[in-house]
Amino acid sequence: MEEILGAVFVIALVAHLLLLGVAAWRVLRGENAVDRLLSVELVSVLALCVVLLTTLITGQSIYVDVALGLAALSFIGTLALAKYLADQRMF
Amino acid sequence: MTVVVQLLILILVLIGTSFSILGVLGLIRLPDVYARLHAAGKVGVFGAALLAAAVALSAPSTASKALILVALLVIAGPVVSHALASAANRLGIPVKHALRDDLAEARRQLSSAQPNPPPDSPC
Repeated sequence: MEEILGAVFVIALVAHLLLLGVAAWRVLRGENAVDRLLSVELVSVLALCVVLLTTLITGQSIYVDVALGLAALSFIGTLALAKYLADQRMF
Repeated sequence: MTVVVQLLILILVLIGTSFSILGVLGLIRLPDVYARLHAAGKVGVFGAALLAAAVALSAPSTASKALILVALLVIAGPVVSHALASAANRLGIPVKHALRDDLAEARRQLSSAQPNPPPDSPC
């Protein structure tokens, strides 16, 4: 069971890294500003998934703190940039 | 770690990964920004949150932090999707394959009823 679990974690990590590349490509080739901002948000969420899978593979719980910080900061950043796009000013 | 917990972790990781794959597939294939928001919102709420639940099951000492992460993701995902859809609507990005636009019609009726509309309230 341990071997199956480890193999599934590695396969999921590789899949998330490929999806991260696809989302980064969409950041460069998006058709308008909101589309690219959506792709940036998706890149941060997929990086969060990669960090969580690293926690599962290595078994070191310090990466959960990294994931918490990344989730909070990307949430605030995307909200601020969406407001900047909508109102053409930040505050 | 019993076999039942390991099986549960396996199922959570598989479902989370499939949600991530389907969300990025929708980001590539769907026609406009609003439909892409619908697909990409699933990655944060289901993909990452199910992986965080798997972390909470695999290491009981970090279960509290992982559950806080689940709550943060479930609250933050819809808020970000709503903010991006509101920004797209204010920028005037059209909906593709739409038969009618109820919001534009309501705005036109509102502006004809009030000749001097008040400025938009800062949201």
